[in-house]
Amino acid sequence: MDQKNFIYLDGEKIPHFHSLSGFAYKEVYRKSDWDKELPDPGQYPFTRGIHRDMYRGRLWTRRQQSGFGTPEQSNERIKYLLKIGQTGINMDTDIGTKLGLDPDHPLARADVGLQGTSLCTYEDIEALYADIPLDRVSSTLIVQPPCSAVIMSQYLLMAKERGIPWEKLIGTIMNCALTQFVGPTYESVTAFFPIDLTVKIGLDVMEYIVQRVPRWNIVNINAYNVRETGVDAVQEAAFSISLAADYIRRLMGRGLDVDRFAHRMAFFCAAHIDLFEEVAKLRAMRRIWARMLRETFGAKNERSLWFRTAIQTSALPLTAQQPLNNIVRATIQTLAAVLAGTQSIHTTGYDEAYSLPTEESHKLSIRTQQIIAYETKVVNSVDPLGGSYLVESLTDQLEEEILDLMKIIEDKGGFIQCFKDGWVEEQINQARYKMAEAIETGQQPVVGVNIFREEDEQVKINIFRHSSDMQEERVRYAQDYKKHRDTETVKRALHDLQDLVRQRPEENLFESIMKAVEARATLQEICDALRRATDFKIPS
Amino acid sequence: MIKRKRLIVGKMGLDAHDNGLRIIAKWLMEGGYEIIYAGLYNTPERIAQIAAEEDADAVGISFLGGEHLYYTDALIRKLNEMGMKQVKVVVGGVIPPDDVQDLKARGADAIFTPGTTKQEILDTIESLFD
Repeated sequence: MDQKNFIYLDGEKIPHFHSLSGFAYKEVYRKSDWDKELPDPGQYPFTRGIHRDMYRGRLWTRRQQSGFGTPEQSNERIKYLLKIGQTGINMDTDIGTKLGLDPDHPLARADVGLQGTSLCTYEDIEALYADIPLDRVSSTLIVQPPCSAVIMSQYLLMAKERGIPWEKLIGTIMNCALTQFVGPTYESVTAFFPIDLTVKIGLDVMEYIVQRVPRWNIVNINAYNVRETGVDAVQEAAFSISLAADYIRRLMGRGLDVDRFAHRMAFFCAAHIDLFEEVAKLRAMRRIWARMLRETFGAKNERSLWFRTAIQTSALPLTAQQPLNNIVRATIQTLAAVLAGTQSIHTTGYDEAYSLPTEESHKLSIRTQQIIAYETKVVNSVDPLGGSYLVESLTDQLEEEILDLMKIIEDKGGFIQCFKDGWVEEQINQARYKMAEAIETGQQPVVGVNIFREEDEQVKINIFRHSSDMQEERVRYAQDYKKHRDTETVKRALHDLQDLVRQRPEENLFESIMKAVEARATLQEICDALRRATDFKIPS
Repeated sequence: MIKRKRLIVGKMGLDAHDNGLRIIAKWLMEGGYEIIYAGLYNTPERIAQIAAEEDADAVGISFLGGEHLYYTDALIRKLNEMGMKQVKVVVGGVIPPDDVQDLKARGADAIFTPGTTKQEILDTIESLFD
C-alpha cells in the first residue's frame, strides 16, 4: 500500500479555510464583524425570507425533476411521485424538444427521451398530463424559447379542452433564453436558433402569459445551470440577476408596468456543498432583488420585491466514486436550501453521476426532504441562522461582490450583450479550468476522488435503464402523426407564422404559434417556420 | 523531431454538457498533444471526416446523457468503413459500469469516467501509441 495513505495518522488538517467561491472564513466571528439592525422575515429587504412565518405557514414544495422516454412513461412517473409525497411537478423535456427537433430528425434520434420526456405534438402533452388535476398541482415546464411558446400553447389548449379556466392554472414556464442548456454556453444557445429571435420570443411568452394566466410564473432564470458550469456563487447570483434585469427593462420597454409582471418572475438556484456560503448567497440575492426592484425599477407592489427561488442541490460535488456518499452530500445541500428559506427543492439523486434517477432514488430524494421537514425541527423558526455573526457577515460580503459584478455587467451593456460578445463564455471557461485544477491539486478536497479514494473500487449501483424500443416508438409516432392530419390547415398556419415573423417582426408571436399548435403542427414544424423566416440553418 | 500526436475532441448528437470535454482538451494540450476541437452537435460522419482531413491519431468523444453506445458504435463503424482502423477511439463521460466493458468490446480503446485524474488520462493515452 502506498505510504501516502497513512498521512491522516499524523493529525488531520484541511488544506485551507476559504469558501468554495474563495472567501476567507475567519477563525471566529464576533460582534465587531457584524453589528447591524436586522429586519424581520417578511419585511423589506427580505434578507430573512419573503414570508413572516415561512415554513410554519407552509412547507417548501417538493419538486423533483422528472421526465424521460415517452410522455406516457413520464405520466406514470409523475403519478408515482405524487403518490409518495411530491407536491409539485417539475417536467423536464429531452434535448430534441428543447432544440426544436422532432424525434424523427436524424440528429435527434439517438437522444430521444434520454434526458427528459420527448414532446412534439399537442397529443403528447395530453398524454403527459393524463389524470393530473391541472388546477390543483403546480407544474414547472422545463423548456426555453422559442420552444417554450409551443409547449405553453399546448398546455393552455389542454386546459381549455378540459374546461379549466386559465386563471386557475398554477405553475411555471422556465422560458429563459440564455440559461437553460448547460448554463449560458455560447454554442448551445446559438446553434439551433438565432439568438435575438430566441430572446424576443421569450419576452413574447412572458407578455402573453402575464396578461392571461395570472397565477403562472412567466420566467424562471436558471441560475442552477449557470452554476453547474463551474462558476462561483458570486457569478451565479450576478449573472442571473443581471439577466433578470435585462428582461425587466425589455418588458417595461413594451409598456408593461413593472408591478404587472415582476411578481411572476422567479429563479432556480443551486445549493452547492459550502453550506454557510450558499445560505449567505440566497439571503444576499433576496436583498439585492428587493432593492433593485424598488430603487432601480420603481416597483410599488410588495410582491414584486419578493425574490422567489426553487433550489436544486448541485450535482457538481456528487461523485461517481462511492456513490452512496452522494446521499450524505445531497442531504447537507438540502439542509442548506431549507436554512436559506427557499420556495421549492429538488434533491439530486445519488445516482446522478450515472443516469437519470431510478424510482428508488427519486423516492430517497423526497424522503430526504421529508425527514428534514418533519423530524429535524429546523423548520420551526424562520431564518434560524439570521443574526449569526458569520452568516450575516458573509451575506454582506457576498452582496457586495455580487453588486460589484452586476455593475461590471451593466457597464458592458447588460448580460445579454455580454453573452453575445463572448464575455460570459470566457468567464465560464476560466471557471471550469479553475474548478478542475482545484480538484486536481487537492485544494478542493472531494472524498472518494482526491482523498480517501479506493483504487480498486467496484461500484455496485442499480441504475436507470430506458426501455429498448422507446426511441424507435417515438420516431414512428412522429412520422405517423404527420401523415394523419389535415396538412392544408397545418401548412396555412405555418405559413402565417412565417409571414408574421418576416413582415411584422415586432409583433408578439405567441398567438400565431398557438394557432399553429391548434392546427396540429409539430414542435419542429413551428420552429422550422421561425428558422425559415430568419434564413437560419441548423447543424447537420 | 517526433511528430506530436493529433487528437480530435468533440461531442456527438444533441447533448451539450461540455465541461469535461473542455477540461480534458486543455489537459491534453498541456500534455503535449495537438488538439482539434470539434465542439458540439457532430454526427459520426462529421467526426470521422475531420479525423480523415486532419490525419488524426485519435478521436476523443464525450457523453453524458446515455447516448454513448449508439454513437460510439456508429463512429467506429464509420472509421472502419473509411479505412481508418488505426485511429484510436477514446470515450469519456458518464458511462455506467456495465457499459465500460461493453464499449471496449465494441472497439473503444480507452474509457474515462468521472473522477479520473489528469495523470491517469495522460498515461493511458500515451500508452495507446506505444
